[in-house]
Amino acid sequence: MNLAKDNSLHERIEQLNPRNAVKNMNLIGRMLLDGREMSLWEHDTATLPGSVRRLRRRARSFAQKHIRPLAPYADLHPHDYDPKPLLKAAAKEGFLNTLLPMPFGGVSFLPYFKSIGFQIAIIAEEFATECGGLGLLLMSHSLGVGPFALSGSVHTYLRHLLPLYIKTRYLGKPECMAFCITEPGAGSDVEESEGGAMAKLVTTAKYDPELKGYILNGQKCFISNGAIADKVTVFARIENEGIESWTCFLVEKGMKGFSVGRSERKMGQRASDASELIFEDVFIPKKNVIGKLRSGWANNRNVLNYSRPSVGAMALGHGRGAFERCLEFCKNTNLGRKKLIEYQEVQYELADMAMSLWSARSMIWQSCQELRCYQSVSASAKVIASDTAFKVCNQAMELMGDHGYVHSNGVERAMRDSRLTQIYEGTNQINRLALFEHQQSSDFKL
Amino acid sequence: MNVKEPSVCISDEEISNFEDLARKYAQRSVLPMFEGEYPDGNLSFLHGLMDTAFQIGLAATPDASSENNYFGVWGSATADIGIKSSIVILSSIAETCGGIAMCLHAQGVATNIFLKSRNSADKSLLRAGLALQEGMWPPVWETFSSSSNDSGIVLETTFEAKSSSYILNGTKSFVYSLNPPDGYVVFARDEKGWGCFIVPSYAPGILRKDAGARTGLRACQVEHVEFKNVEVPKQARIDYRGNAIKLAKLSMFINWSGMSAIAVGITKGAIKAAKKYATERYQGGTLIENHPIVKSLLSSSDALAKSAEAILSSLTEYTIISDKALARAAGVKLTVMDLCAKAVTDSLQVFGGYGYMEDFGMEKRLREITVLKSASGSPVYLKQLIADIEKENEK
Repeated sequence: MNLAKDNSLHERIEQLNPRNAVKNMNLIGRMLLDGREMSLWEHDTATLPGSVRRLRRRARSFAQKHIRPLAPYADLHPHDYDPKPLLKAAAKEGFLNTLLPMPFGGVSFLPYFKSIGFQIAIIAEEFATECGGLGLLLMSHSLGVGPFALSGSVHTYLRHLLPLYIKTRYLGKPECMAFCITEPGAGSDVEESEGGAMAKLVTTAKYDPELKGYILNGQKCFISNGAIADKVTVFARIENEGIESWTCFLVEKGMKGFSVGRSERKMGQRASDASELIFEDVFIPKKNVIGKLRSGWANNRNVLNYSRPSVGAMALGHGRGAFERCLEFCKNTNLGRKKLIEYQEVQYELADMAMSLWSARSMIWQSCQELRCYQSVSASAKVIASDTAFKVCNQAMELMGDHGYVHSNGVERAMRDSRLTQIYEGTNQINRLALFEHQQSSDFKL
Repeated sequence: MNVKEPSVCISDEEISNFEDLARKYAQRSVLPMFEGEYPDGNLSFLHGLMDTAFQIGLAATPDASSENNYFGVWGSATADIGIKSSIVILSSIAETCGGIAMCLHAQGVATNIFLKSRNSADKSLLRAGLALQEGMWPPVWETFSSSSNDSGIVLETTFEAKSSSYILNGTKSFVYSLNPPDGYVVFARDEKGWGCFIVPSYAPGILRKDAGARTGLRACQVEHVEFKNVEVPKQARIDYRGNAIKLAKLSMFINWSGMSAIAVGITKGAIKAAKKYATERYQGGTLIENHPIVKSLLSSSDALAKSAEAILSSLTEYTIISDKALARAAGVKLTVMDLCAKAVTDSLQVFGGYGYMEDFGMEKRLREITVLKSASGSPVYLKQLIADIEKENEK
């Protein structure tokens, strides 16, 4: 009797579902209701131009094939795995050449000229969904190339950027790059104007008229990919001048006086090293000056404008990875006679996480609506996505109870990974000030 | 055995003595384990550390005759003096290391139940673990109310009475203990109700599996324990006249109180470290303690920690081991963890990139607080439990 009653209730609930109820409407009414049964990921993908849609699918498939299997081991044993096969595979697919469109770069031509940063953000989310550390390994290469692309110097494009991309894409010899701004005494200082003005920077370049080049001395720290990079873009002030004289130099592995110091022991994103780089009388030929002399500060700030949406996208990926793995857990785990996902309190949490991630993605995609990424919107995207990601990762862990903190489930790894996104590329506090600075002459004008 | 109200008052001076003892232990014994590059301390120190804790009375042992362990973390005096002394000890040690505090706590929770046995305790079982939880959470409320319910959620570990023994079957998950445990306090049921048993870890039929790599609190052993036709003698059953459920609830009350105390200790340690760093680190030519944003992070962390501490200390007013007290302990864990996690992450932010590195111990604190939040009853579980108890009370 009760069973019959239950069945009847179940049938009525099914009938009331808008998906079924719409059958009672006329044709136009039915057409106006979007009842497609597709995942949020597919919904979002469907909004993209065809070539970006394909890129997103390709990036996801690459991440699932190459990053997913390596992720747990690389996180637990960051010094015992070889990153080169992954870099090579990514290079082959064009994922290391994201700062130029085809044929030299790996991203689509027309969408690139609509927004330079968007396709990179699309790739970053997919990679970081599978692993924050390996995602960083691949994405921080593009950060290292950033000063080339944004230098505006034809000389740099022809001498450095194009050869690098041709070598990577067509000759199958990827060269890994890293971006070096942080110094032991100046972290977030070099990511905002007021801090920059007062920063105590130790890395200096002195012109040697005899050698016709610069002698670089100093130290950089927390450099992602620092230990494995073949080339690094280093920012240094000209001797006896301030940060206004910051200039970007290309330093290559094997240059005399260039060495790698200690690699940091990090909480997360462990598959990518964060290393100290030491420069002791390193001779830099003039051809390795990136862009104009003393253009480094502006170049650095603009690199951050373009990279922060991608950092936000990586954070989003960490949150999404935690969410997806938690969702799988809820689908596969029983509590009493029901699966976890059948409990309303669990559904509530999962829906809340999905909404949070969706809002973060909206912000990131919004930040890439224009050709150029600008300071306010990039900072906002990074802050909102990283705060959201950390929150979602914690929610996922909590939902899984004690299983949440077990490494093999992959959710705690995402939590550890996501915490860094609130710190690097300028702490979220600095990024808030970045928005204020950018809008000071308009919205916040006295 | 009896589960009774605390009947002996403990003075503030005595509490302060416990605090001093715990601080000295943390400084002299625990702190040296962090010399060298170990994210969670040099765990080879663990045995010596625990031996010291047993000797000075900070860790409870199942040896009921030992006066030394009477007051220790959840020692047998807890029923007489209340939870304050153990809370203070755990919190003080957790300022230095949450993992070591969790070791003492896990030992204490299991031992406290063990010591309630009316039978003579087996003194060879020095290190004990509480085996209550199955699957992802501790028992949900309806598990206590009847042996069968609509949702089908029951305690799955069963016991069967034989002429002179009991046979246990089932699997317990996330059993926290000192490494290696000598025995477990196991909760199981038959068709009549619940039972509570002391089971040696070496008993035939026991399969132990380490929970594997974890986020934090790594000093403490965590394992899943399977009981396959494990036979224990009649006297291994320690509940009395069907009060096993009461014992289970008591263990949950103590567990959540202690975990909340550890969270408060970790947070206080994090804030101390952040304040110290702020007085040493220059940025933009000035000490960061003078930066408005750093001031704001520190003061909000401080306020959160003080709120958490106040909420925790409200628990000491709950002297009656009742469902109401259990709901209160659940509420305290729910709230305290949230406040502490926020305070720890804000304190870490003061360090910038250095906070994320292992060198300053801040990332360890964040990992530990995150584990505490999800362990032995995550927020989703606690909210439902509180609602269920309130509903029951209204009836």
